[in-house]
Amino acid sequence: MPTADHSGNELRELLHLVFPANAGGVSSAADAVSDTLNQLAVPEQKRLEIGLAVQEALVNAVVHGCANDPTKNVTCLMRSDGDGRIFILVRDPGPGFDPDRVPEPKADENLHRDHGRGVYLIRQLMDEVQFEQRGREIRMWKY
Amino acid sequence: MGPGVDSLQSAIEEALSSGDSRIVVDLTEVPMVDSSGIGVLVRFLALAKRAGGSIKLVQPCKFVVQTLRLVGVLNLFEVFDGEDAAVESFA
Repeated sequence: MPTADHSGNELRELLHLVFPANAGGVSSAADAVSDTLNQLAVPEQKRLEIGLAVQEALVNAVVHGCANDPTKNVTCLMRSDGDGRIFILVRDPGPGFDPDRVPEPKADENLHRDHGRGVYLIRQLMDEVQFEQRGREIRMWKY
Repeated sequence: MGPGVDSLQSAIEEALSSGDSRIVVDLTEVPMVDSSGIGVLVRFLALAKRAGGSIKLVQPCKFVVQTLRLVGVLNLFEVFDGEDAAVESFA
């Protein structure tokens, strides 16, 4: 887990949440991320993009990683560097998945599907996205 | 996931089960739509169209429009500046 940015500058921890895998946990964690971004005076567009990406990652962790089992926990970390770049990690204890095998949601045959857009949105909204531990952990940067 | 998506889904389900397939969704006070919300909109759009109607969107904010465009579904919907115009478009 990075404690420094790409230039070696130390990252400041903004949030370290561990919450039960349910809708209330997702909502509380998403609110905490949003409040932190507000306190940092992050510009609105950047705040919205991070907020939506985090929401998608949290929901994926709860629904797919934990199968909506509230006895399992999801971890969400948020850090920043001195240049205002935001790092967010979301980790679940689940079986993981292969992020390279996620269907392309903009393909004609997938446009009307009611799921399968979360990972795509995260990749589009964030500047850098890495999946670790066979998909159980997502690391995202917004510059 | 969340109360917003649940209530959207319940409202559309209720309309469709009552035989109302011409549906207007007012997004004026919605700052963000996630993949769950998009999934509900596209799934029920298909059902509404099959029943002879549609789902029309009213006044989505810039970020919601950007998000719908990002995942390629914006063009599936007709978008209106006001509720009246959306309702009249069904006439």
